[in-house]
Amino acid sequence: MSILIDSSTRIIVQGITGRRGRSHALEMLNSGSQLVGGTSPGNGGEWCFDGRVPVFDTVKDCVDATDADVSLVFVPPHSAADAILESIDCGIKTIVSITSSIPLQDMMMIKVAISKSDSILVGPNSPGVFVPGVANAGIFPADIALPGIVGLISRSGTLCYEALEILTAAGIGISTAIGLGDDPISGMDFLTCLELFEADPHTDQIVLIGGPGGNSEFKAASYILEQATKPVITYIVGENLSPDLIRPFFPRTQRGSLESSGKKIAALSEAGAKIAKSLADVPSLINH
Amino acid sequence: MNLQEYQSKAILRKAGIPVPASMLATNAVQIKRIATEIGYPIVLKAQTPEPGRGKAGGVRIIHSDHEIEYISNEIFKIVLNGRSIQSILVEKAFSFVKEYYLALLSDFDKGTPILRISEAGGATCLEPDSFSNAKTYECPIDINFGLKEYEVRNLVTKLDGEASLWKQFQRISLKLFDIYRQLDASMVEINSLVVTHQNQLYALDTKMNIDDQSLFRHEEFAETCQPSNQNFAKKQARKFNINYFDFPGNLGFVVNGMGLAYLTLDKLTQENLIPGPIIDIQEGPSSGSIATMAELLFSDPKIYAVVVDVFGGMTRCDELAEGLLLAEGKNLQHKPVFIRLKGTNAEKGKKMLQSRDYFSFYETTENLMNAAIKYLGELG
Repeated sequence: MSILIDSSTRIIVQGITGRRGRSHALEMLNSGSQLVGGTSPGNGGEWCFDGRVPVFDTVKDCVDATDADVSLVFVPPHSAADAILESIDCGIKTIVSITSSIPLQDMMMIKVAISKSDSILVGPNSPGVFVPGVANAGIFPADIALPGIVGLISRSGTLCYEALEILTAAGIGISTAIGLGDDPISGMDFLTCLELFEADPHTDQIVLIGGPGGNSEFKAASYILEQATKPVITYIVGENLSPDLIRPFFPRTQRGSLESSGKKIAALSEAGAKIAKSLADVPSLINH
Repeated sequence: MNLQEYQSKAILRKAGIPVPASMLATNAVQIKRIATEIGYPIVLKAQTPEPGRGKAGGVRIIHSDHEIEYISNEIFKIVLNGRSIQSILVEKAFSFVKEYYLALLSDFDKGTPILRISEAGGATCLEPDSFSNAKTYECPIDINFGLKEYEVRNLVTKLDGEASLWKQFQRISLKLFDIYRQLDASMVEINSLVVTHQNQLYALDTKMNIDDQSLFRHEEFAETCQPSNQNFAKKQARKFNINYFDFPGNLGFVVNGMGLAYLTLDKLTQENLIPGPIIDIQEGPSSGSIATMAELLFSDPKIYAVVVDVFGGMTRCDELAEGLLLAEGKNLQHKPVFIRLKGTNAEKGKKMLQSRDYFSFYETTENLMNAAIKYLGELG
């Protein structure tokens, strides 16, 4: 029915006593997700939301008590790496970093740790993983999507919301929606996500939303060309933007090798993906 | 954040990497005194964190006293990206037999540091094409394990250099990696790394970029990223963890997330228009920080109208509305604000804003941008 999370997923929130962590934890709880615990060093032993969710000092204590397998990271950027490494160490299967702007070299260390573990990192700067009607491991507005059989992946969080709204208006449901985050160094990329959707019997086509910069779309194009059997519909934002307009949005040291949206659209088109000229065109390209 | 050359050179010198004798000056009198001390010929090098000083005439060789006044005046007149030159590095001119490029860079796709060595001395990593015509070698580095001598050897033995240089390359590369790690740099570049007539490697010029997201743990750069080095808007934005991009057009933007920014800009570009300042509030800012940033748009006479395109997830549209009202309340001069609010608490946000008759509301980004573009067109 979905990838990464399902109805048996047991979610914890790292940073559950912070302003954003607390408010989104409550929304997840109210929308029926299985939020089984949270961490906040120094506040272990307390309970959140009228005794509904226990708080622990460490992820280890939390996992021992709750058997959690998904963690949402809400802690501030300066301690986010520590929080993510802690979750990897405790064997959390899917770690979603809502936190953005994690220091560059911290992300490099996290990438090494992830590659040596069985954990998957989604983000940083991810809106989460969302299975409509079943579980919302993140900050998606809960009523934005319908359950269905289309998988959705997007680098941009806001464009992910946009796409969900457009699909919902067209009556098209979603198996899983995933925001990968658009920070300079990311965890899971399009390729891994496409592989997971390919293996998921309840997803029969995939919508992929990309943008300028990075080479994740090119790797996706190779996969679509060589291995994918399910139809992939893509929208790549920023086709008309000049390099001068795009460059300021990236770290100085990344600017030399920025890939344009135009090149990505060409590669995906050649690989056999269906190309949407705008988000509004996406529903018409879906078989339903 | 880019460091200036004199700062980067001081870091290299402290690490024990050979650099030419140099001193910082802020006027012609100081330059003359330094020249007398280190001897002609000297090189005057404009100090700026902005790229492009070479092309702008900011690096000049001087052979005698009487050139100093005139040439230093020319250098002090250079403005790069709106920043004037405050100081000049006075350096002993150096003759050499060969130039190399040596750098610790960040591979954003793989998420590793990389060491790059090239015979394209003088090229820069921002112009990747210049490396394709010369021998260029690189290797990824395990961030935890560190750079090893053999990894450097694997690269330098492929260069057309003498074996006597290999040990120097190893030593300097390892020191560069230490600098990269200790300073949380995203780039540490020596360009050119020259071979002297005595067969010694010297760092003639260097560029360093410190990762902006790591500045919180680097007290030593607190001075460098002070307001005198940055405009007010950027300084405020950094304080609030908001992204601020300065473009010269007349339409200001408030968006959340780069995806929406690209979407709105794409529409603008199709009409051959350029954006004004873009404020990306990212996820979850407070109404107070939104107010401070939005006020910059409302109070700037260069901005004729403001576009607000926000799809709230963690960002709550009612908090955004509160921020806009706070900002708007401080300014008597009203300008049109084109608004699209979606997602978390969008209806509540719209209700809060509806009483202002110069705020107009749209359902899609396309309609929003069409209205804003039409308004700009009517102004001429």
